[in-house]
Amino acid sequence: MSGLPRSLVVYTVVMALFLIAPVVVVVVAAFTAGDFIMFPPSGFSLRWFDKVLGDPEFITPLWNSVRLGVMATLISSLLAIPAALSLIRGILPGRRWIEAFLLSPLSLPTIILAVGLLFFTARLGIGDSFVSLLAGHVIITVPYMLRTVLGVYAGMNREIEDAARVLGADRWRTAWYVTLPIIRPGVMAGAIFAFLMSFDEVAVALLLTTADTTTLPVSILSYLVYNYDPAVAAISTIQIAIVVVALLILERAFGIRNVMLTSH
Amino acid sequence: MADHALPGATKGEKGGERSRIGRGALIGLAPLFLFLLVFLVGPIWVNLIESLKEPGGSQGLQQYLRIFGDSYYLTVIGQTLLFGLGVTVVCILLGYPLGYAIARAQGAAKAVLILVVVTPLMVNVVVRSFGWMVILGGSGALNAGLVALGLPKLELMYNWTGVTIAMVHVLLPFMVLSIASTLETLDRRIEEAAMVLGAPPAQVFYYVTLPLSLEGIVTGAILVFTLAIGSFVTVLLLGKTATMVLPLLIYQQLTVSSDWPFAAAMGITLLVLVSFVLWLQSWLRGVSAARGER
Repeated sequence: MSGLPRSLVVYTVVMALFLIAPVVVVVVAAFTAGDFIMFPPSGFSLRWFDKVLGDPEFITPLWNSVRLGVMATLISSLLAIPAALSLIRGILPGRRWIEAFLLSPLSLPTIILAVGLLFFTARLGIGDSFVSLLAGHVIITVPYMLRTVLGVYAGMNREIEDAARVLGADRWRTAWYVTLPIIRPGVMAGAIFAFLMSFDEVAVALLLTTADTTTLPVSILSYLVYNYDPAVAAISTIQIAIVVVALLILERAFGIRNVMLTSH
Repeated sequence: MADHALPGATKGEKGGERSRIGRGALIGLAPLFLFLLVFLVGPIWVNLIESLKEPGGSQGLQQYLRIFGDSYYLTVIGQTLLFGLGVTVVCILLGYPLGYAIARAQGAAKAVLILVVVTPLMVNVVVRSFGWMVILGGSGALNAGLVALGLPKLELMYNWTGVTIAMVHVLLPFMVLSIASTLETLDRRIEEAAMVLGAPPAQVFYYVTLPLSLEGIVTGAILVFTLAIGSFVTVLLLGKTATMVLPLLIYQQLTVSSDWPFAAAMGITLLVLVSFVLWLQSWLRGVSAARGER
């Protein structure tokens, strides 16, 4: 932080505290020995974690969220990687418009997507709303995947691809043996990011999940509305822990700044 | 940063070799394109059709007349826009110095700062709003502290203050990252030139740094505004009936009143508002690009 004015350093520390305060408060409140959510907590115990980890009301949604996030991320990758490579390699009329369309879910309020998918499901008579839920999450995650892969691929030295082609590899072999290994860090970063976006999503899940498919954020939300006890802090802490681990992997593997600090 | 900043930076492609790839490009793009056509454009289209349903079974604009002919719904729309504007302004004021610090920090400090900004962004909105409930509630952490100091309690929950604090917290990282991204790419030699020519730091900031980071501020502001007027979880948990916003009203129309056509019409109204803001952004870009050419 050297080189910055001292007042700016102080301000930055204060803002950092503001940003992490609600997260810290939830984590600390989860370790209370008492029966109520309090900060500072009364005493220390793991009883609420014990309760939550043995309670299918929380564990089932946790697994649902993980499963949904993994499926959405896989489908997003399968859709976004070829699209990103094509966008950059191909000569396309109106490339700018196509890219804007593919990234447009970024600017769409999720409540609109959620409401639309709800009507869509009802109108098409898709009996299983899980298909719509998964589709909604793919739509939400795919722009992040696309953007990250576009960023990495645009920065790579594509003469290596040309060299492979000159040496006789066809287009598909070049993509599989040359391009994919090079863009893999970007794909990994995009995938972790996409997973986190799905893992956090509330609006679409709130309208499209059923009792069997309910996700963690939805179950935390409904629990908060009806019972306000430290169990909700404990399950929130578990959610935070999963997110922090994912972010650390992202940081080690790729560097968060490379994902987050791209002007778009 | 510059090496993979913008995909648009690669537009200077060589011809020849590339032209053969036209067909391959279509094969790569088609799946995603079709997927979005079915599951993004499709639902929005169905939403539009639903909003044109009238009680008698005919089609028309009656649902929209209901929204725009009723002072309550107009108030909610006005409140939503004002709320979005307020959150955006606070985010710019609080976020700019932080974005500046991130762009200028080096090494480990920079990594830590980015982690501090990104981590809350990744923690669920429900969990973060819950954290604010614990802090701001009537017998919450903040009031407990005030009472311990012998000060009167503050009413920070179930009103606009609490909702705004929590929403600023939710959206601030977007603003900070947007501003930091722009400041990262700013050529510091321009600032140094101004300094060498004798401008005091305040003038360098006002006449050089600030104008050059305007794009980051605008991008961040549009992002924060559209997200603020489109999200409802924070308002649902920290607000009450007086702090109603459009997306929460849509959610309630669907789940409590089950009035689908009306909810659909409000959804389209929200979509139009957001589209207008996005159009404004591209228009502003056009204006500044035209000015840059002169």
